[in-house]
Amino acid sequence: MVSRIEFSVNGRKTVFSGNPLTRLIDVLREDLSLTGVKEGCGEGECGACSVIKDGRLVTSCIIPVGAVNGSEILTIEGIRDTDKGRCLVDAFAEGGAVQCGFCIPGMVMAAYALLSSNPNPSEEDIRRGISGNICRCTGYDLIVESIKLAVRKGGDLWA
Amino acid sequence: MGMTYIPSTLSEALHLRAETGARPLAGGTDMMVQSKRGIGLAPEFPYPVMIISGLEELRGITKHEDGSVEIGALASPAEIAASDIVPWHVRMAAAGMGAVALRNSATIGGNIGNASPKGDLPQPLILLDADVILVSLRGETKMKLDDFILGSKKTALKDDEIIRSVIIPPHEFTYSFYRKIGMRRANAISKLSLSAAAVVRDGEILDFRAASGASGPKVIRSYSAEAIIRGRRVEDIPEVLDGFLEAWNAAISPHAMPQYRRNTTRRMLSHFLSSIHDGAEAGIIS
Repeated sequence: MVSRIEFSVNGRKTVFSGNPLTRLIDVLREDLSLTGVKEGCGEGECGACSVIKDGRLVTSCIIPVGAVNGSEILTIEGIRDTDKGRCLVDAFAEGGAVQCGFCIPGMVMAAYALLSSNPNPSEEDIRRGISGNICRCTGYDLIVESIKLAVRKGGDLWA
Repeated sequence: MGMTYIPSTLSEALHLRAETGARPLAGGTDMMVQSKRGIGLAPEFPYPVMIISGLEELRGITKHEDGSVEIGALASPAEIAASDIVPWHVRMAAAGMGAVALRNSATIGGNIGNASPKGDLPQPLILLDADVILVSLRGETKMKLDDFILGSKKTALKDDEIIRSVIIPPHEFTYSFYRKIGMRRANAISKLSLSAAAVVRDGEILDFRAASGASGPKVIRSYSAEAIIRGRRVEDIPEVLDGFLEAWNAAISPHAMPQYRRNTTRRMLSHFLSSIHDGAEAGIIS
């Protein structure tokens, strides 16, 4: 069945025509070439495909595109040129958060969602905020430190 | 492969449900995973499906005049955990589900309708005697959630019905307990969970209940075991404790690692009741 679904991605209006059960991640990666959105587990467990839907972090691999009609989707590509996005990306680079990098777009989106709702998180809040994002390289500590760095450097940006 | 529909109103959804039998898909956290086919491929369902995540009629959390709290079927665990009108046991269960992104996508209606023995929300809801409101073109039906969930992945939902909401009757407990045991703190499927609550006035146990999750094909409440404690005096707890634990143990039927699940359930219940006996301060027993 073909449905017409209208939504916005990184501020740009998008119209999807096709099977409404198509996974949001496939629309983002294949149709819109937003390949910063990574597929890890494909089951909503690893967080690599995390995007922000209407202000809330979600895993795009288990959301059918038919469920995003009228929604605003934000991907790593949509935040990297904003002040908040740059702050996070710079902090991740400076803090040495990145090894293989596959989990990082999802990590940055999770950190973005966290700091946007909690500008001054405790370490526990940070670990909880990225608890749905799995990294097989770093052991998480440098990612947590980098998010703390983004909090310090960003200051009012997150308030 | 079935058709997929996207109704824009509840009325449209009820017509589709009655005419095509389409099954509701909301957050997708269970259905999209169960029917996934891999990278670049849309999931396929052997039955018609309707995506209901846009139905405003199924949203919202409301406190009614009689003190009961109604939670719309599309409420997410994140909304439930953050609500100050939702009862404590239910907030605890919602806050412990999956991780951030899952809690933003999953829905209470899906968690109930999927009826997994390891689902986190039915356990506290059954403790609190919650009702489920089912709606169809024929009208609305109210039913105890404990009666609605029949067993593992089985519910009493009829082919033309949709879960509209859950209603939790008012209650005021002197003591409350909630514990979920999983392999990790995030993204953990419950190995075991337990809720318990008691009302104590002037040394008399006026109400006592417990609900075991992941301990059988569905959430287990043993009303006959609860009756062993209810109506007794606090100082009599040691006298009736063993009999109660025995009765509760007979009521649960954990399918895997039964010794572990039985022993841990026994210890949690014993801890809760002993704390009451030992004069714990009213509130949460941790």
